[in-house]
Amino acid sequence: MNAGNDNGLKRAHFDKVRLPVLLLLPQLTILLLFFFIPSLRALTQAFLLSDPFGNSVQFVGFDNFRQLLASEVYRESVQVTVVFTLAQNALTIAAALVLAFASDRVIRGKGLYKSIILLPYAIAPVIAGILWAFLFNPAVGPLAQLLRGAGVAWDPNRNGTDAMVLVVLAASWKHICYDYIFLLAGLLAIPSSLMEAAAVDGARPLRRFFTIGLPLLGPTLFFLAVMNFVYGFFEVFAIIHAVTRGGPAGATNVMVYKVFTDGFVNLDLGSSAAQSVILMAFALVMTLLQFRYVERNVNYDS
Amino acid sequence: MNILRRRLAFTAIAAALVAGTQAARAEPVQVQWWHAMSGTLGERVDELVKKFNASQQKYVVVATYKGNYDDVINGTIAAYRAKRAPQMVQIYERGFMTMMLSDAVLPVQDFMTQRHYQIDWKDFVGPVAGFYSYKGKLQAMPFNSSSPILWYNKTHFEKAGFAKPAQTWGELEKQLYTIKQKGISACGTVLPGDYHWSYLENYSAINDLPYATKANGYKGLDTEFVYNKTMVVQQVGRMKKWLDDGVMEIAGQGANPEQLFASGRCSTLLASTAAHGNIERLAKIDWSATYLPWEQGKTPKNSTIGGASIWVLKGSKPAEYEATAAFLDFLAKPDTQVWWHKVTGYVPLTDKAYQIAKMEGYYKDHPTREIAILQLGRGTPTENSLGFHFGNFTQTMFAQREEVDAVFAGKKQPQAAMDSAVQRGNEVLRQFEKLNKGKY
Repeated sequence: MNAGNDNGLKRAHFDKVRLPVLLLLPQLTILLLFFFIPSLRALTQAFLLSDPFGNSVQFVGFDNFRQLLASEVYRESVQVTVVFTLAQNALTIAAALVLAFASDRVIRGKGLYKSIILLPYAIAPVIAGILWAFLFNPAVGPLAQLLRGAGVAWDPNRNGTDAMVLVVLAASWKHICYDYIFLLAGLLAIPSSLMEAAAVDGARPLRRFFTIGLPLLGPTLFFLAVMNFVYGFFEVFAIIHAVTRGGPAGATNVMVYKVFTDGFVNLDLGSSAAQSVILMAFALVMTLLQFRYVERNVNYDS
Repeated sequence: MNILRRRLAFTAIAAALVAGTQAARAEPVQVQWWHAMSGTLGERVDELVKKFNASQQKYVVVATYKGNYDDVINGTIAAYRAKRAPQMVQIYERGFMTMMLSDAVLPVQDFMTQRHYQIDWKDFVGPVAGFYSYKGKLQAMPFNSSSPILWYNKTHFEKAGFAKPAQTWGELEKQLYTIKQKGISACGTVLPGDYHWSYLENYSAINDLPYATKANGYKGLDTEFVYNKTMVVQQVGRMKKWLDDGVMEIAGQGANPEQLFASGRCSTLLASTAAHGNIERLAKIDWSATYLPWEQGKTPKNSTIGGASIWVLKGSKPAEYEATAAFLDFLAKPDTQVWWHKVTGYVPLTDKAYQIAKMEGYYKDHPTREIAILQLGRGTPTENSLGFHFGNFTQTMFAQREEVDAVFAGKKQPQAAMDSAVQRGNEVLRQFEKLNKGKY
């Protein structure tokens, strides 16, 4: 299609204001109802002290934020979130890379491998969480029995590190397939002539992977890292809820889970709102990062 | 004349008949009741509502399960803010202060009096009525009340050479260690999911230890926790020791404490009397139950209640309130109470209901069903055993649990953890006080 046609298309659509507005309306309504209004409410709530029913409300300025920053529990939660997200990120990408590279080399039954690897994505996070919690439950879980048989004093109910390992495993397992699809696509996009040339020159698969595959996957990897951070920050609620409920002693109480417990269990709406405002700021930084460094490098012309 | 009269009478009768059928045909008034009873208990609630609906034609109660207690209070808050609140909600006992001072509810005793229902409020058993009362009047309708008791595996105790669990913590500890050492069971006891209730709160009440100032919150919002200066600290240390020695086990996610007890893996369990329904159905072991233990040298006081009550929310039409009142009146009836007590394991809420069950000889066949009642009514309540009236109670309990868990994980010493729990809890109490100044 040439440029002239494009302009014609544009003019035809923007002749009258009514139609484009009408077409945009559903999307805008959804944004308004599910994004702008709740965000605004969270923002105002963050500066208020109110009883849950909203009958007694006091303006407290930055008190909620001040209390959060002064709270050791909150700082721990931030720390836990960082550790969790980094570990989850590393594990997910590493596993997805291995799987993607391996299935790129598989010749027979490729489709079957892919389907099996993609399966966890179809499982609801809560179900996945309960599954992992059960498998590694020290009293009844078969995998925990194996670990204990091997002399590991495994107890995620008491030991914070064990609990962290467990939620990282569960969260990564659930997310590997997402990274896998992108990496597989990335590998497919690498011209096979490059790989073949290297093979002819005598480079073994591992060498080919590290010297050709990995560098060419760079932009994909960066994109995935950002997406994994977003996942780790905002979407692991269900898994944490099913596996550890943030425990023991707050060892897996990531920020997004703390927002939930403080708001919906403890009914401390002011603090919960302040926390979600901080999380919103995180999300904003992530989005900016992605726009700045990823979108710029992506070329939509092939 | 006669004919005229007859005709008049006839028309009058006809008119009355028409009016009568119209009244009968009029749509019954529908009211909503949100609750948190799932599983077996949920089935019982449905039966209860069915009984009421069948007992008359004017009203229909619709009971809706809204998730666990946290979900129900959250759903209620959201609905209230959107002005679509149900007429009745079941809220856990920890939400008492939050609900009472919310300006969103109608105190139930006044509510019933205004609608001319004669309910003998004095007949409600002391610990229950006392908990839900403010200035001598009931604020919420007691519904499902329970107390923790000590469940035990009879076979395990007999094998170890004990007739039954000992009465004091020290003696019980020795028994549990013996059972473990003899290899009779994998664990002496399993940590209950709500251990703060049995191991810390009721522990304080039964041993007459102060939990907070101002009669545990009954006498003012300026109450402060003090349990870091009592034997509670030692109790937390004891629990940690049991865990370290493998005498106590944590069920953890994916398993539940009741299962570990009912399957015969663990020999004892401190759990609500309301577990009767489940354990009677689940357990393949030979079980029994007894009072919660107390400390050597103490005279045990009453335990305190848990469970939930029904609150009437503001904002409904008069006809809907008539229906609500009729339902609450139905709940308070001794027959309803006795039935509910028998099918669930919750304690009967009125003396009359208790007497009926007793006269029927119910406790001869089901002795463990009476333990919670006797334990709740034991001795004269003191300021320490009356119960706990804290604002934002759930939040303070959460902080406490986090600190106790830190002890279990070996991250903190019991004293340091309890100091920190008290400090965190007091901050939460001050916030509630600030918000509700002058209301209590």
